[in-house]
Amino acid sequence: MASEFRRPGPRSALRRTLATLALTAAYATSVFGEGAPSAESRLAGRAAPDIPLRLADGRTMRLSELADGKPLLITFFYRRCTGVCTPLLAWVRDAVRKAGGLGVDYRVLALSFDDADTIDDLRAQARVTRVLDSPHWSFAVTEQEALAQITGALDFWYRPDPATGQIDHPALVAALDQGRVVRTMLGAPDVSERLQGLLAELRGAFIPYYRLPHQTPFACVSFDSSTGETRLHWGLMLLVLPALTAAVAAYVLFFLGAKRRRMVEAQNGRTGASPVWSCAAS
Amino acid sequence: MRGVKSQTLYWMAITFVLFPILILLGIYMRSVQAGALGELQGWFYPMMTLHGVGMVGVWYVASMGCVANVLSKYVSPSPAIGRLAIVGSVAGVALLLACVFLGRFAGGWYFLYPLPLKGEWPLWSAVTFLASLTVLGATWLIWSLDLLRAIASKYSLPQALGWHYLSGRDQPQLPPAILIITVSLIASVAALGAGVIALALFYNEILTGAPSDALLMKNLIFFFGHTVVNLAMYLGVALVYEVLPHYAGRPWKTNKVVVISWNAVLLIVLFAYFHHLYMDFVQPGVLQYLGQIASYASAIPAAVVTIFGALLLVYRARMRWNLASILLVLGLAGWAIGGLGALIDSTISVNLRLHNTLWVPAHFHTYMVAGLVFLVVGYFYHVCQEASATPENVGYHKLLATLLVVGAYGFFMMFYLSGAYSVPRRFAAYPSELAHGATYSGVAAAFAGLFLLGFALYVVETGKRWRKALHSGV
Repeated sequence: MASEFRRPGPRSALRRTLATLALTAAYATSVFGEGAPSAESRLAGRAAPDIPLRLADGRTMRLSELADGKPLLITFFYRRCTGVCTPLLAWVRDAVRKAGGLGVDYRVLALSFDDADTIDDLRAQARVTRVLDSPHWSFAVTEQEALAQITGALDFWYRPDPATGQIDHPALVAALDQGRVVRTMLGAPDVSERLQGLLAELRGAFIPYYRLPHQTPFACVSFDSSTGETRLHWGLMLLVLPALTAAVAAYVLFFLGAKRRRMVEAQNGRTGASPVWSCAAS
Repeated sequence: MRGVKSQTLYWMAITFVLFPILILLGIYMRSVQAGALGELQGWFYPMMTLHGVGMVGVWYVASMGCVANVLSKYVSPSPAIGRLAIVGSVAGVALLLACVFLGRFAGGWYFLYPLPLKGEWPLWSAVTFLASLTVLGATWLIWSLDLLRAIASKYSLPQALGWHYLSGRDQPQLPPAILIITVSLIASVAALGAGVIALALFYNEILTGAPSDALLMKNLIFFFGHTVVNLAMYLGVALVYEVLPHYAGRPWKTNKVVVISWNAVLLIVLFAYFHHLYMDFVQPGVLQYLGQIASYASAIPAAVVTIFGALLLVYRARMRWNLASILLVLGLAGWAIGGLGALIDSTISVNLRLHNTLWVPAHFHTYMVAGLVFLVVGYFYHVCQEASATPENVGYHKLLATLLVVGAYGFFMMFYLSGAYSVPRRFAAYPSELAHGATYSGVAAAFAGLFLLGFALYVVETGKRWRKALHSGV
């Protein structure tokens, strides 16, 4: 039975802030459809099973042993993939190089979900991704039952396409810490910016807030990944709008009241009656 | 129903019926927290929701009904809109009862996003709750605009805000109640507008599935909720300015200081609600600081000026003490005491400790019950007594007031002690390490029962006059 894995040892300052990551190539967007952002939010905090892994170097170990107390980025691929897999892995590789901290703050696992993949396939994919020599990148396969457990836990789906011989699947990167999902990303057009934000978090920056794309029409603040700052968002105007409305409503009501008073006074002037406001009941 | 004045009697009747029921719900909750009524524990959160929304709604409309009555002395609010307010409020309450009792809706009176749409209750129950708020909010918005219209029929906006006093002129004379009501109604329109936007975003999510930004929703909901409660209190204070001089035998006139303090309220009260978001670390820091500054600035000037003015009014005056004047003075005291608790809680460094404890319900129960409720029921009695001219037993009135004060403050004290000893709020049952919370709850339930007894006697005392007033066609 799968269990959560816990990471031992002291935490570094950077490790305390965990990251997660999911990416996808822009052209992979259509694979996940519009439900992707809600899937991302649904995954946060979910426990991942501590599955057994068989690595490209022939070793076997459990997921928790591979993480070795560090946060872990997991992404899925299969060797025969002619679609998103290789660009996705390359993107993760480049992003990780740019952000730094690999091995110190986190490790990366690329897990094959094709039971036809062999150790040689894993090594070939690592070579194509140009991370074969990196001790902090791992390519692995696992048993069918374990694969079902982890793909189920991370809502990662895949299905063979008889027409092409390929396997349909989303491009998912999930960040785990202490066996739980911290943050995930699925494909989206603005994924590059989101990835920068995620990597900043990975390097230990405290990012209090981030929005999932295409979800909320208005927001109070937004995170600028290029500067690492939280900026006020124009959605804050919705907090000003009620006060402006009240001011306008008051102005209009009192304007109309004054106009009506002048009319009545004019009429009273013609008839010799007292002004309205001075004859109100006391 | 005839005019606005007689509509006030209907608001009284509604309050006399609903308030005791809502008190019973409160006693039920404190009893559950004390470990009693275990078989009914499953209803704790639906009842908490009903108790919260009900209390806020009842006392908001009660204070609005009172100020409509005050305004009818000077200007002419629309009786038709007054009728709409009663019908709309009753319809809103009916929807609220349906969603709570049939749908077991339990999203709390603050219905923080996204809880209403994520709870264990059915979606129709959440929709009914939102529909209830929509009906109530729309009704109150129309009502507020009509009262403003009535004021505008006699005063210009600068006159209604007393700006001519700032330049040394005192003509036309502006009753302080008109100034306070104008300020409160303008701010009410803003608060209700925020509620409209929050509800629109809820409906948008229900209809399109597009979720909203949680931080924005929390800001909007507390802009609406906190400000409405705050303004209900100010409407209650307007009643003191209007009625207390009647018992002191001295006038209480508008002057430059009163104008400055209440105009400051109009500018600042809209920012005070930020103190509800201290725990939200995503909220921009500048708004957090603004929340603390606005909390102090919106409360202290108005409170100091009002209480100082009231003390001067009463000092060495030939006061006519009866249930009305006693409750009005006690109401000011409750406002000050509860307000002090609120100011303590609105201090960021303190709020970090107290926010999730029973200190919070302690202070808002103090200014709501010992402040607003005392002011409004004092005014209710005043209206009925003036209309009926019934002989009074002042000794009995003092006994009644004592019963209400002992019941209320004993009840509050249990909240304050619980808060000071870190008992968390919103817990239906306390674990063994918080057993002291259960003890305080039991004592609080007993004090609340005492308060309920006092209120029942008050209703009997005022009800006799209410019947005469109704039959005399106020």
